[in-house]
This record gives sequence, structure tokens and C-alpha cells, in this order.
Amino acid sequence: MEICNSYSSSSVDSTKHSASESSVNLSLSLTFPSTSPQRATKQDWPPIKPRLRDTLKVRRRLLQRDYDTCLFVKVYMEGVPIGRKLDLSTFSGYESLLESLSQMFNTSIICGNHRDRKHHVLTYQDTDGDWMMVGDIPWEMFLETVRRLKITKPEGC
Amino acid sequence: MNKALKFPMNYFPEEVIEHIFDFIASHRDRNSISLVSKSWHKIERYSRHQVFIGNCYAISPERLIRRFPCLRSLTLKGKPHFADFNLVPHEWGGFLHPWIDALSKARVGLEELRLKRMVVSDESLELLSRSFVSFKSLVLVSCDGFTTDGLASIAANCRNLRELDLQENEIDDHRGQWLNCFPDSCTTLVSLNFACLKGEINLSALERLVARSTNLKSLKVNRAVPLDGLTRLMSCAPQLVDLGVGCYENEAEPESFASLMAAIKKCTLLRSLSGFSEVASVCLTAFYPICENLTSLNLSYAAEIQGNHLIEFVQFCKRLQLLWILDSIGDKGLEVVASSCKELQELRVFPSDPHDEEDNNTAVTEVGLVAISAGCPKLHSILYFCKQMTNEALITVAKNCPNFIRFRLCILEPNKPDHITSQSLDEGFGAIVQSCKGLRRLSVSGLLTDKVFLYIGMYAEQLEMLSIAFAGDTDKGMLYVLNGCKKLRKLEIRDSPFGNAALLADVGKYETMRSLWMSSCEVTLGGCKRLARNAPWLNVEIINENENENGRMERNEEDEREKVDRLYLYRTVVGTRKDAPPCVTIL
Repeated sequence: MEICNSYSSSSVDSTKHSASESSVNLSLSLTFPSTSPQRATKQDWPPIKPRLRDTLKVRRRLLQRDYDTCLFVKVYMEGVPIGRKLDLSTFSGYESLLESLSQMFNTSIICGNHRDRKHHVLTYQDTDGDWMMVGDIPWEMFLETVRRLKITKPEGC
Repeated sequence: MNKALKFPMNYFPEEVIEHIFDFIASHRDRNSISLVSKSWHKIERYSRHQVFIGNCYAISPERLIRRFPCLRSLTLKGKPHFADFNLVPHEWGGFLHPWIDALSKARVGLEELRLKRMVVSDESLELLSRSFVSFKSLVLVSCDGFTTDGLASIAANCRNLRELDLQENEIDDHRGQWLNCFPDSCTTLVSLNFACLKGEINLSALERLVARSTNLKSLKVNRAVPLDGLTRLMSCAPQLVDLGVGCYENEAEPESFASLMAAIKKCTLLRSLSGFSEVASVCLTAFYPICENLTSLNLSYAAEIQGNHLIEFVQFCKRLQLLWILDSIGDKGLEVVASSCKELQELRVFPSDPHDEEDNNTAVTEVGLVAISAGCPKLHSILYFCKQMTNEALITVAKNCPNFIRFRLCILEPNKPDHITSQSLDEGFGAIVQSCKGLRRLSVSGLLTDKVFLYIGMYAEQLEMLSIAFAGDTDKGMLYVLNGCKKLRKLEIRDSPFGNAALLADVGKYETMRSLWMSSCEVTLGGCKRLARNAPWLNVEIINENENENGRMERNEEDEREKVDRLYLYRTVVGTRKDAPPCVTIL
């Protein structure tokens, strides 16, 4: 179990983990607008003791690991026989995912809600096996449930 | 008239008076009787065996020993409370060594030592173990600075050790054989708690120790003790009253699990259960046979056990008086507690998701708090972490529970208002202090104006400790408290707009208090200097972690208008301490 240096004023974790964890850490400084970002990373709020803090960190890391094992997904574009593999944990949200996919497949891709005839639409298969529009649910929830991605042609959907 | 008739007690022989004093245990009462007369002072001095020192820098070891030469039991507290939350530098102070050194040299017959937030070294523990022949009990809470080598000295040298209780300490685990150091002749252990140790231990040494300690009532092991080990331990100690469980494999073999349950069934005296970190839900079920007997249950580290399993278990614990749990139990779970645990006196609900990183709704709200207040008539102490609160709920709670002694509410998001009316929570907390006339400890949170402090100053007559974070508007807030709460001993404030005017208004007030902490407030260096000048009986400490190690505050052109990051002041009879590190300046 990693023992976090309680009195370090420089960072929350003294070792760097995956990008998804550092995006989680970023949210710390955004949660408390009335305090400076430095204060948030000092781990002095909320007022819980170090042993509980460590216990919850371990739990958090285990949960994160569960997310991590699901984060490599295959992406296919309709009409293209060869798919790609993508690590979703490297993206901070839908925007960066779409941008990256658009570059990767050299076409413009959008989320489901802005459908029109010109653009490809991104869909995903969830843990139940159903195909859904990407973008309907919060990003974190999407990461939990996504199994594979499909970029559909403009006309079909 | 004959003086003996008018003042009979003065003419009792000393031994009789001393015998009467033996019945007076409370420190405050003893302090009072020592003030009655010179002879009483003297008798009290020599008959005082237990001393409590709330701030180790308020007095020196030498003066303590001079006054109480027959000391047997000493309690010492070091760092201020907010050190628990990383607000005090590690090297700030609170060193045990000078105390052990002085007690050892004076050949005091020390038997018990209880320390909280002190820096303890292996050398001190070694000296302790060799200096006091009758030493029986060592309790260390939130201390650091030592390793398992220090524990080895205690184990090896304290022939009459009854209690070794380590709670929430930062101990450097050398994975050595400290448990082996208990000699075979040591059979006097009544209480052994090493739950906070992070490393491996010698299981067979532990088993042998437990087997020969026939008086053992309390055993709390660390995560290194697996399920089979726990079964063997409980089999040789069915007399246990208090058990702290370690770590289980996630899928226990059915036979191992059955053996554990059989061993647990035999522990008919078991009343208190804790531990369960990194333990899967199924392992909690092994304790169903005895859950009806439990009076104390601490599942605040049981982060792996899901809410529904917690609820299933707790509903059968009908005799619970103390419950510490994570908020994963949810409002529904608290409603179950309210209907099942009618004997409940103390409840603590801790946040499982302190930084709101998970997208779940299982945290507790005002609903759970109201349910508990309605269902548990004996409730007197509560610590409640939640995401939201309303005035209406607090007013209801105040009506339901006028007997609160300790009320600590922590809304995770600073400055959060009543989530229904969007107003401040002044009225809610106001209702609490007005209704709970015996309230001794209070922590406030959420959106609060100066008004809540007006209420606190007006109604909280018995209040001894107040914790304030992200609250108030002006100096008036702090002044209401300082002027109103006559019994206030500890005041700790962070991130609130109180400044010099409040700090300096009544300097004499601080002589009636143990300490004041202010961090990220509006007090300036100039204000603190003025305070230090006007109150020589106070140590006024400025803590500034950003100072370079080359020296203390090296600003010749000191800007008196500069805000002080952290201020800690306390009354003392021994003046400025000599052991402050560079980051601490004593004005």
C-alpha cells in the first residue's frame, strides 16, 4: 500500500499514475472555488485522519483499476475492415475522443445528438450489448460501460 | 466557638483527608481542592497519582515532578488538533524525550503513559522500558517518530506490561521480530492493539503470546493477520471482549470460513469489533453469531464492504452503543440503524468519497441525520460527514436530541448553503446550541454568517471546544464567541475572515483557554506581535512552512501587514520553548 507523504505540500501523490488519475486530481482544485489550488492539493480538507485517507485511496485505486481494465476498446468504422484499438483512459472527455478519432480515421465524426447527413456518427456498445449514441451520459459513466466503438456512415444510424 | 467545630475538616488527620481525596478522581475536581488551603494543596500534591496535561508546552517536566512526586499515570498531548489534517509541519514539536528523561532521573514510579500527537523516538521508548519497573500501560494515539524497534524494547523490558495500545500512529515498520521480544514469562497482557502497523508480523509468535496471556481482553491485529491466523487466535482467546480484525483473502475457503465462524461462536464475551480494512463483505457475515452482543462497532475502515451488507449486519446489532461507519451505508442504512439500535449513544459517519470523485448517490444527507435523531433517544455524540444539509433538518434534530454533548457536522463542500432554501445554515446551528444546553463540543460547516456565532456566544454556555472552517463574515463573528462562551478552552479556526480586531479585543480571555488556532484567516504579523507584547504569559507561534531552512523569519523589513498563514497560541507557565524548528517563529 502506498504511503502518501502526508506533509508534502507539492502534490497529492508523490508518484505519477495513469492519466485518468491525474485528471481526477485536477478535479480536486476545481471542487473548492473558495480555496486556492495549492490548498486543495495539500490534502487538508475534508478533515479526515491520515489512516482513513490512505484506506480510501487504496479503495479508489482499486476502483480505478477496475475502470482501467476496461479502457482499451476496439474502434471500427463502417466500411473499413480493419479496426483500431484505443486506450480511453488517455482522453479527458468526449471532445478529445472525437478529435482524436477524427484524425485517426481522417474524417469528421460527431456525437449522436448533432446528427446530419454529412458527418459520421460515433456509437458504442455497452456492457449489456446494446448499441448507444456516444455523448448521452457523463464521461465517467461512459468509461464504466463502454465495450467497443463504432463509427457509422452518415446515412445510416 | 471552638475552631474544630467551625472548620471540622481542617482538623482531620492528614491520612483521613488523603483517603477522602482518593475518591475524587476527576482532574478538575482535584485542581479545585488543591486551591482550598495550603495544607490541602500539600496533601493533594502527594496523593495525586494521575495527571493530565492537555498541552505539553504549558508546563515543564521538572515542574510537574516537583509538584506531583508520586505520579503514576501521565497523559500528554502535543501537536494541536489540526495536525491530524496536515496543517502542522511534522517537525513542529511535541517531543516525548525530555519528559521520559526527567521522569527517569527523578525515579518517578511511572506506571501508565498516554500520549496524543507527540513525537516519540525509539530511544525514548528504550529509556521508558528500562526506567520504570512497575510500568504497565502504554497508549499512543496519532504519534510518530518511532519504529518497531522501539516496540521491541517495550516488549522485552516491561515485565509487568498489561497494555500496549497503538492507535493511528505512523510507525516505521522494520518488519522485525518485535512480537518475539515478549519473554515467555510475560503473561500479564490485557490489551494489545497493533492495527496501525503496516508490515508483516511473526504469526506464530503472536499466537504463542495470545495463548499464554490468559487475561487478554482486547486484541486488535493488523492487516498481516489472515483469516486462518485470526481463527487460531480466537480459538485460544475465547475470553476476548474487544477484537480488531485484520485482512482476509477475498474468497475464503468454505472450511476456513466455517472454522472462523465456529471460533467466533465461542467468543460469547465479545462486545466490540473493529478493523475490516481490505476485507470483503462475506467476512463480516462470520460475525453474525455474536452481533447481538455487540455494544461497539467500528467499520470506518471497511471500505470494501458494500452498503447493503453493512445494513444487513447492523440491523441485528440491537445493543449497539457506539457505531463508526462509512457513508456507504446511506440514508436508508441510517434509517435501519435508527429503528434497530435504540441504545445508540455515539455515531460517526465518515465520507467514503471525500473529494466527490465518484458519481454515486449513496452518501448520506440530512434525511439520515434526522432519522437517527428521531430513532435513538440516548444519542449524545455525533460526527457526521455529508454532502448537503438543511436548516429544517437541523432544527428537527435539535428538537429530537436536546442531550447532545458533542455535535460535529462536516458538509464536504465549503460554504454550501441549505440545499433547498439556499440560505445560510445559521438558523439550523442556532437551534442546536439553543436546544442542547449541555453541548461541550461543536464543529460547524456549510454557508455561515456572523449570525451563527452570535447564537453560539449567546446559548452555548457549556461549550469547551469549537471548530470553525470557511465561516463568518467579519471580526464580529469571532468576538461573539470569545465574549460569550465562558467555558471555552479550545478554539480552532481555518479559512475564515477574522482578523486583528477580533484577535486583540480581549487578550485576557486566552489565559482562560488552553489554545487558539487560526490558519488562512486575516490576522497579520503586526497583530500577532502586538498580542505577544501584551500577553507575556502566552506563547504566540507563527508557523510558516515556506521559510527556508537557513533561518527563522529573516525579514529585516518585516511587513507587519503581511497575513499570517498559521497562528497557534497557548498559555504556558514556562515561557518560550527551546525546541521549535525553523518554520516556527515564537513572538
